[in-house]
Amino acid sequence: MSRSRSSTTTQSRSLKVTGEEIWKNKTEKINTELFALTYGALVAQLFEDYDNDYSLINERLFSMGYNIGVRLIEDFLARTALPRCEDMVRTSEVISKCAFKIFLNITPHVTNWSNNKDSFSLIIEDNPLSEFVELPMNAKKQIWYSNVLCGVLKGALEMVQLDCDVWFVADILKGDPQTELKIKLNKILKDEIPIGDD
Amino acid sequence: MDPGRNYQANHPLTEQEKKQQQFRLFQESLPKVSQLAFQMLLNEIVPQAMAVENELNDLNSLEQTGDRTSAVEGERKGEGEAENIPINDLSLQEKEVSSYNTNLKIQPSHKLIMELAELEDEEKYNNILKRLRNIGFEMGKKMCEMLVFSNNPNLHFKEMDLLLIMKFICRDVWKQLYEKPIDNLKTNHRGTFYLIDYNYKPIQAFSLSEEAPAKELKMVEPFLEIPLGLIKGVLASLGYSPEEVICISSFVDKPADDRPKYGFPKGVSFHVQVNMKPK
Repeated sequence: MSRSRSSTTTQSRSLKVTGEEIWKNKTEKINTELFALTYGALVAQLFEDYDNDYSLINERLFSMGYNIGVRLIEDFLARTALPRCEDMVRTSEVISKCAFKIFLNITPHVTNWSNNKDSFSLIIEDNPLSEFVELPMNAKKQIWYSNVLCGVLKGALEMVQLDCDVWFVADILKGDPQTELKIKLNKILKDEIPIGDD
Repeated sequence: MDPGRNYQANHPLTEQEKKQQQFRLFQESLPKVSQLAFQMLLNEIVPQAMAVENELNDLNSLEQTGDRTSAVEGERKGEGEAENIPINDLSLQEKEVSSYNTNLKIQPSHKLIMELAELEDEEKYNNILKRLRNIGFEMGKKMCEMLVFSNNPNLHFKEMDLLLIMKFICRDVWKQLYEKPIDNLKTNHRGTFYLIDYNYKPIQAFSLSEEAPAKELKMVEPFLEIPLGLIKGVLASLGYSPEEVICISSFVDKPADDRPKYGFPKGVSFHVQVNMKPK
C-alpha cells in the first residue's frame, strides 16, 4: 500500500518535471498578450456575427476548440511521448501538469473528484485567454468566454479513446470567485479491431 | 562565455543599441504561451468563418419559414432522431446538464476549407473574407497599441512617414506574429508597397501536389486575409483611415537562389496602396 502510494507521487512529480522541461527547452514561445488579443478579436467578431446570440457563440467556440483539439493531441503525444493513461486520476495529472503547462504555461489545480473517480474539476488561475477581458453586462450571464478550452479538451480526449463531457461551471469573468472547468468521463471508447482479424 | 556581454565590455553600446537591447529584454520578460497553440488558433479562424456563414444562412432561412427558436429546436430533434435516441425519454433538465456539448453538429475543419474553396456564391465568399479581414483589422489595431506602449525603439512619432511605418510592420509587427520579419519590401515612393514573404508562417505546414493546381492555391487563399486586415489595422491606428488603403494579396514564386526550399512552395506578396497623406 505504502509502496504504491509512493510510486504514484514519484510518477506525478516526474510528470511535472516532464512538463516543465518540455516547456522550457522544446517549446517555441509567443507573447501571451498577443494570444489574448487574437482570441479577443475573434470573439468580438462572433458577437457581431451572431448578433449577441450567446448560446450560438458558445457552441461556435466549442466546435472551434474541438477542431483544434483533435489536431493538437498529435503534437502533444509526439512532444511528451507519454503512454496511455490507466485511469482518470492519471489523465487529470497529465492534463494539468503537462498539457496546460506546455501549451499555455499554466498548471490548473485538480479538485472536486466524484466518488467513482470519473469526473473532476480544473481550477484555472491566470487564464491567458481572458486576460484584460471584461464582459458587457448583458453578455455576462450567458457567455462562456473561454469555451474554446472545453472544445480542445473534448476533441483531444476523444482522440485517446476517452469520451468525455467538458464544460465550465464557473468563470471569474462572470463574477465567480474562480474559474472552474469540469471534465466528466462518459465511457472509454473501444479500440477498433479490423473485421475478421481476431 | 556570453558573446553579448563580451561585446558590451569591449565596446560601449550606442544609445540606439541600448534601447534595442532593453526592448528585447522587455519582450523576453513578458509572459508567454506556446507558439503552436497560437498558430492553431489563428489557422482555425478560417474554417470557422465558413461555419459561421453556413449557420447564419440556416438561421435566416428558418426565420423566413417560421419562428426561429422553435425551428432550431426542431432541427435539434431531427439530429437526435438520426442517432436513434428517443428524445421524449430524456427529461429536459437532464439534457441541459449532461449533454451540454453533445447536441452539437461539429464539422471538421478540412471539410469547411474545401467547401469554402468550392463556394460559387460570390456574395457568401466575400462575406467570409470580410469576416476574416475584420478579425485581422482588430488584431492590427490592438497590436499596434501594444507595441507602442512597450517603448519600441523602432517607432518614433516625429517625422514618421509611410515608409517608416511600413518598415515597422515588416520588422516588428511581423516578428511578433510570425517570429520572422518580412523578406522583402518594395516601394515606388508614391504610396505603393509590396511586402513579400517567401515563407509565410501560417501556411508552411500546408502541402500542395507538385504542380500546385489552381484549386489548391484557392484553398490557401483565405489564409492570407487576416494579415491583409492586420496591415490595415496597424495603418488605421497610425492615422491612415481604412477607406484610403487598398490591400490585396497574391502568390509569388520563390527566388531562384540557394536558400533552402522547404514548406509551402509559393511565397506571398501583400500589395498595399495608400491614397492619402496622414491627418
